[in-house]
Amino acid sequence: MIGRFSIRIKFGFILDMVLTKIKIMAVNKQEYLSNVLETHRISHIDNLVSKFKEKRDEVKTALQSKYGTDIYTPFDSGSFKKHTAINTKFDLDIVVPFKRNPFETLEKMFLDLYEFLDNEYSEEATVRKQKVSIGIEFDEDDEGDIVSLDIVPGRELNQDQYSDDNNLNLFVNENYGFLSKNSYIQTNIQSQIDHIKAKEDERKIIRLLKIWKHSNKESFKSFLLELITIKAFKKKDITGNLWEKLEAVMEYIRDNVTDENFKLKDPGNSNNDVMDTLENWERNDLSNRMTTIIERINDIDENIKTYFPVNSDFEEEEKSSSNEGYGLKSGIATSSIPPTTQRFG
Amino acid sequence: MSRVSIIETQINEIPFVEEIYEIKQEELNVTGKVRIAFPELSAPLDFKFEITPSYPLKNYDSESITFRNSDLVELKHVMGNGAICIHTSHNIDLRKKLTIDFLSLKKWIEKYYINKEDDTHYEHLIYKEKVVKDIYHSYIFTDVNYIFTKGEFGKVYLNELSNGTYKGKNIKNYIVQSFFTQGKFKINCNWSSWYIKSSPTNGGAFIYIDDAPALFGKFAFNNWEDLKQFIPHEFLKFLHEFEKNNLKKYKGTLFPIFIGYRTINSEIHWLVTPIEIGNFPIKGIAERLEGKKTGKWYSELENDKISWSISRNSSYKYFFGRGALTSKITDKKVLIIGVGAIGSMVAKTLVRGGCKYIHIADYDVKEPENVCRSEYLFNLGINDKIEELSRILSAISPFVELETIDNHYFNSVIKFFYDKKEIRKEFVKSIENYDIIIDCTTDNDLMYILDSLKLKTDIMNLSITNHAKALICAFNPNIYDFVINQFSNVLKNDVEDLYNPTGCWDPTFKASFNDIAVLVQMALKNINGLYENNLRKNNFVIKSIESNYKVEEF
Repeated sequence: MIGRFSIRIKFGFILDMVLTKIKIMAVNKQEYLSNVLETHRISHIDNLVSKFKEKRDEVKTALQSKYGTDIYTPFDSGSFKKHTAINTKFDLDIVVPFKRNPFETLEKMFLDLYEFLDNEYSEEATVRKQKVSIGIEFDEDDEGDIVSLDIVPGRELNQDQYSDDNNLNLFVNENYGFLSKNSYIQTNIQSQIDHIKAKEDERKIIRLLKIWKHSNKESFKSFLLELITIKAFKKKDITGNLWEKLEAVMEYIRDNVTDENFKLKDPGNSNNDVMDTLENWERNDLSNRMTTIIERINDIDENIKTYFPVNSDFEEEEKSSSNEGYGLKSGIATSSIPPTTQRFG
Repeated sequence: MSRVSIIETQINEIPFVEEIYEIKQEELNVTGKVRIAFPELSAPLDFKFEITPSYPLKNYDSESITFRNSDLVELKHVMGNGAICIHTSHNIDLRKKLTIDFLSLKKWIEKYYINKEDDTHYEHLIYKEKVVKDIYHSYIFTDVNYIFTKGEFGKVYLNELSNGTYKGKNIKNYIVQSFFTQGKFKINCNWSSWYIKSSPTNGGAFIYIDDAPALFGKFAFNNWEDLKQFIPHEFLKFLHEFEKNNLKKYKGTLFPIFIGYRTINSEIHWLVTPIEIGNFPIKGIAERLEGKKTGKWYSELENDKISWSISRNSSYKYFFGRGALTSKITDKKVLIIGVGAIGSMVAKTLVRGGCKYIHIADYDVKEPENVCRSEYLFNLGINDKIEELSRILSAISPFVELETIDNHYFNSVIKFFYDKKEIRKEFVKSIENYDIIIDCTTDNDLMYILDSLKLKTDIMNLSITNHAKALICAFNPNIYDFVINQFSNVLKNDVEDLYNPTGCWDPTFKASFNDIAVLVQMALKNINGLYENNLRKNNFVIKSIESNYKVEEF
């Protein structure tokens, strides 16, 4: 027992030193958020991205071979294309522009595509109908990776018109805010992609909000967070460091989304208001979330880690919490005292 | 001025007292008569009054002034001796108190004498609970999923609860397990299976008469003869046969008779009287036809006093009538994993709050040193926690279906196999049988697994820091990252000042029952509100800051 006691004192002393250091080192929110973005960069997962791209190309080829001249060339969309992807959760989007005449209705187009993908991939993936797209989630491979793709079918408005205007009608498969099931929505995905071009500041904030959405399991759509961020930058003077910009955007969301006149025009179709995808209670919920996040982080800086965690898989050695700055990890070796993550009950 | 004069003067000043007379100081009490008259009253009413020396203070829970008029016994809230039941406001000034109490009497006259109002709640029949063979007997019953018809009778199966003391005398307590009708149909009472599954210890007989066996609908009959018109001969024959068959073996044994009647909302109340085998209040009467004996006999009730015992309706509605958690929790299937300090408090609170389905899982053993800050009991010795807690929870509520989960399921089995696709599906399927899972294990690995299973079930995770400085409650789908971050980075979790039990190298946290319970109760109150109002379940932390507590929502 005497031996153990002395070990305990020794480790207790080390722990004290570490704890003291942490208390002194208040979180620098600007640096911290930069690190959050850094650890969520897609470039950290090149190997996985290659797998995604390989599957995406495979699906594209299959689609072209199935539908031939009934479709225009499928193209990439989504966060990759917009440079707003994060490495903890992403999928690749493929837009399939159908010509006007092959299908009588948009629903038939949607179902035909679903049946084709389901026949083609159900043995190696889960294929499911989503709101306006069809999701393919491939089974885990030997390295534990899961590839998921979203296939968005759209139909040109009139025969041969797509080449001129890039406009597409999408089938709405499930109730989606004020959009009812089995209706359709006209949009222009290319314009959506163009809308975020050359907006590096906005992209950083969008990525941070997506990190929040993903890590806190929030259900708000990424597209909505994207548009609202861009609008915040337009409507408000958003300057300062990364934290100040993020806080300003969150304040903008907090203060505006509950206003019934607040609209988010779809860059693909100015008649679409993306706010319509939210019910009233969801607008309140989004505003409340922003209020809480701002309050909690302003209470205690460390709470920023609750909402915007680093991806510890890609944390640089010198910044990792086992050394300085970002908290004491459970991995700290102690034989005589439990780690600080020791919960009680 | 004497007390009697003060009382007389004050009563005389009350405007609706037309006359006060025959007032005098008895050995202890002041007695007298008053005549009450006011415009709404068609004719004056006379009352005797009696004021005890404690007036204006109360005697126990009763007013120390009584008003009597034996002509009014048929009315509501009048006792058999004509005393009017009034409950009035507290006042320590004799004069003011007299005014208040006479006003209460006037209100009673307006409500029940003039307006003949009905009460919205049910008032039990009035009877004196009697001892039989110098022992009180109580019979606790609950609802059944069966509609009795008038005149239906049969056997009652009982189970003995703990015996004890009631008003200074011994009492034997029983619950009614089931009824067995003459049609050989068994009707279980709606207790939890814990109370139904054990073999009955005693028996009795029941007769459902539908109408209240009472004078003026409120004074329970106190003579068997009064029940003649309610009790069919078949039932008396049944009793006679029973007595005859059991006389030799059970002479002198008490055999309770349950008399059932309808109250409000088709509820049934049972009045119970134990009768002695060999001394049933029935007699044989020779049947006569045109004055001549036919040679046949029938039974009739005797002119004999009834000794009513204590009977209580303890159905779910009344058992939890004074307070319960929201039915959005109590009706759900709840699994509590980890029943240490927090888990046992959560379980007990849920059970006292009316939860109907609770399963508990833990691998640990309860030791004597666990008792000081959990819901375990010293007198049950050393036990598996889940087994002991089941006994305790069942002892609290007769309406909770409890099950214990295999000790190893969450501690080891799930960890071996959770990442195997097919087995994982089975885990998900079995866990999703529950509506709510409360993880109180403090096991980070299990927390991670439950998070990763992406269950549709509601999961909440509860744990505290050392010294119970903070309680963390996280809901799925955002549990693991949130909790780890709180403990790693945000909260001050002192892991040095721990308690080291003698003889084992397993330090534990320091906190008293009070420290932990206040946090757990606050958390459960918050959770109950979230469910009751269908609010979004945001994670929260309750912090103890000096002597204040702060709930921070995330």
